[in-house]
Amino acid sequence: MELDLDESSLAIGRIERALSRIEKALAQRAAPSTPASTGDSTDSAALKAEVAAVIGELDRLIAEAKNG
Amino acid sequence: MADVHLNIAGRSYDVHCADGQEEQLRQLAAMVDEKARSMTGSTEVRQLLFAALMLADEASEARGKVEKAGPESDSLRAAVALAESRAAAAQDELKAAQLREKRALHDAKVAAQREESALAELEKLRQGAPVAPPAPAGRHDRALMQIADRIEALASTVEQMA
Repeated sequence: MELDLDESSLAIGRIERALSRIEKALAQRAAPSTPASTGDSTDSAALKAEVAAVIGELDRLIAEAKNG
Repeated sequence: MADVHLNIAGRSYDVHCADGQEEQLRQLAAMVDEKARSMTGSTEVRQLLFAALMLADEASEARGKVEKAGPESDSLRAAVALAESRAAAAQDELKAAQLREKRALHDAKVAAQREESALAELEKLRQGAPVAPPAPAGRHDRALMQIADRIEALASTVEQMA
């Protein structure tokens, strides 16, 4: 079933809220008051890998939506 | 002045009239003579008397017809005026219709030019690089939902790491 305009707006709203959550989490992570954990570098590498995977996935989804 | 010789009821008369009216005078005398001769078996004076009475009667009748025709003439004049008014109105309407027709033709011409231009543009597009058909809206919507799912999952991961 195709989404109507309201559902499209809902999806965009979800994306905006998720991006806001990411921004907030990254700001907390970069805050100097936050105590550095031992697994910090491991987490950063995992985070970069996750972001790269998501970007690749988003590129694929966008290409599919464009070209069918 | 002209001299005219008339014969009425068997008697000759020499009369004068204005130049050019001789023939008319002879015709009038002929009318009187005709009426007088129709009264046979009477004296000349009575013949002329009855001729005069009959001609007076005809004149009176003719005058009555003219008076009766007066109102008819008025009606006729009114009808003519009405007809002229309607003719003028019809002429104005005709001019307005011609103007409307001219405008409509102009509009049609402009529309035809637009259509021709649009067709030419379409033909250019057809001859150019093949354009991929636009993706259905539903495909974009599904992609949006999948992107939202994926970014929400990423947000959860980032929050766990923070």
